[in-house]
Amino acid sequence: MSDQGAAPGQQGGVCFHCPCVEVALPTDEGPRTILAGLGFDIHVGEFVSLVGRSGTGKTTLLRVLGGLLAPDPGSTVLFDGVPVKGPPEGVVMVFQNYGSSLLPWRTLEKNVALGIEDDLGKEEQRERVRWALQMVGLADRAQDYPWRLSGGMQQRLQIARALAMRPSVLLMDEPFGALDAMTRGELEDELLAVHEATGTTVVFVTHDIDEAVYLSDRVLVIQGSPATLGAEIPVECDRPRHQIKTKESEGFLKARQAVYEAIGVA
Amino acid sequence: MSPSTVRARINGVGLLTALGLVALWEAAVRSGVLVYQYLPAPTPVLASAGELIASGELPANVLHTLTVTLIGWVAAGVIGIGLGVLLGLSQTAYRYSITSFEVLRAIPPITFVPAALLIFGFSLRMELVIVVYAGAWPLLINTLGGARGVPAELLDTARMLRMSRATTIRKIILPAATPAIVVGLRLALSMCLVLAVVAEMVGNPAGLGNALVRAQRALQPEQMFAYVLAAGVLGVTLNGLFRSTVGALLPASRQAQA
Repeated sequence: MSDQGAAPGQQGGVCFHCPCVEVALPTDEGPRTILAGLGFDIHVGEFVSLVGRSGTGKTTLLRVLGGLLAPDPGSTVLFDGVPVKGPPEGVVMVFQNYGSSLLPWRTLEKNVALGIEDDLGKEEQRERVRWALQMVGLADRAQDYPWRLSGGMQQRLQIARALAMRPSVLLMDEPFGALDAMTRGELEDELLAVHEATGTTVVFVTHDIDEAVYLSDRVLVIQGSPATLGAEIPVECDRPRHQIKTKESEGFLKARQAVYEAIGVA
Repeated sequence: MSPSTVRARINGVGLLTALGLVALWEAAVRSGVLVYQYLPAPTPVLASAGELIASGELPANVLHTLTVTLIGWVAAGVIGIGLGVLLGLSQTAYRYSITSFEVLRAIPPITFVPAALLIFGFSLRMELVIVVYAGAWPLLINTLGGARGVPAELLDTARMLRMSRATTIRKIILPAATPAIVVGLRLALSMCLVLAVVAEMVGNPAGLGNALVRAQRALQPEQMFAYVLAAGVLGVTLNGLFRSTVGALLPASRQAQA
């Protein structure tokens, strides 16, 4: 595996151990197999992207990891050595549709506090919320409401809410898919900075190959119907990454080409 | 509310049009363009309203109708919101009862007025039953829609944050359904008033509806129209009070959704 530019906190231990993931979802014509025996591991502190054509089951796989969807019997999905049954502690998901993931009746501050308000003392809570908002550059809007923010800011807020829980794993489902290119670049770099600073493991679903390669230590290509693991491509680029320099580096271009070939576009 | 926002909320030209129409009515009756024995001009109606207010008759009737409307509205709120939340959250309750609710809902509440009269007699009970029944519908339907319409992402978020069922209801589902419930409350309020007046016209011998019909039977069109006017003023006032209460309690964001 690529250990190039390892994030602090990356110990290389196994975070998710999934030797076999199978999922069939009910349809009108009976159950349809979406994922057929995918096998992979995700290591602690790693940034892994799942790429594939739309409809291949990337989101389904992410929901299995997050415990929101139970895989078929016979599957093995271990988090920290324990079978995943329901959302595991320390794992938080960030959804693509930020608009309907936030609570419009709560201020930014209170949105961020949603996951910790019953567990932490007042002072600690305030501290944590401030830190999380600072990480995404929204500290000065703490008293505002989410519907007054731009799309990019709303997605930042969702990330802040996840960060406030001090997650060991962030599962991100095409989080920047609905944003314009400029905002997207900004958020990619902010996410990398957060990853760097916290050492959080990130599993990132995207259909944008450049984005996947730019962010990740490793790219998993998911392919076919039902889907299997098509390829596992290490990205050998130094961290911190740079929108221009990294994308011109040999490591980036090599990995990018490998992903395109695996998907069958190049 | 500052004076400028009050000014901004008063629709000057709209008010002018309404006053113009009243003036037109006055002119049409006085000039003899409209000649009906029992169609009075606005001014005698206003004079009659003044007399009814002075005698205490009109305020007493308004008070009765207002009281029944409000009591019925609150009871309808408890029943409608309660059932709506239950059906919105329990798939079992929903599957067992939705057909019955759909059938009942298709029957206009007003058609039950004669039945209620037979069952409960000329009584306050009959009026209350009708008012509560009619008011519960918009609340049930809107609360149910609000509770079932919570975005999947919000429910997934609640699961991801490992919230209990009770916490999810309290922190996510009820607040998310609030704009829909507010709409239900507003519709229910006018529904309750309408059905209170109808029930008084045919059943319970009290309140605005009854006074209106008595004035009609006594061939006193001025008084009759005075009561029509009173019912209108009551409706507008209730709606206005409701809106300003909502405005004071809910942040602007939630009202936009409501």
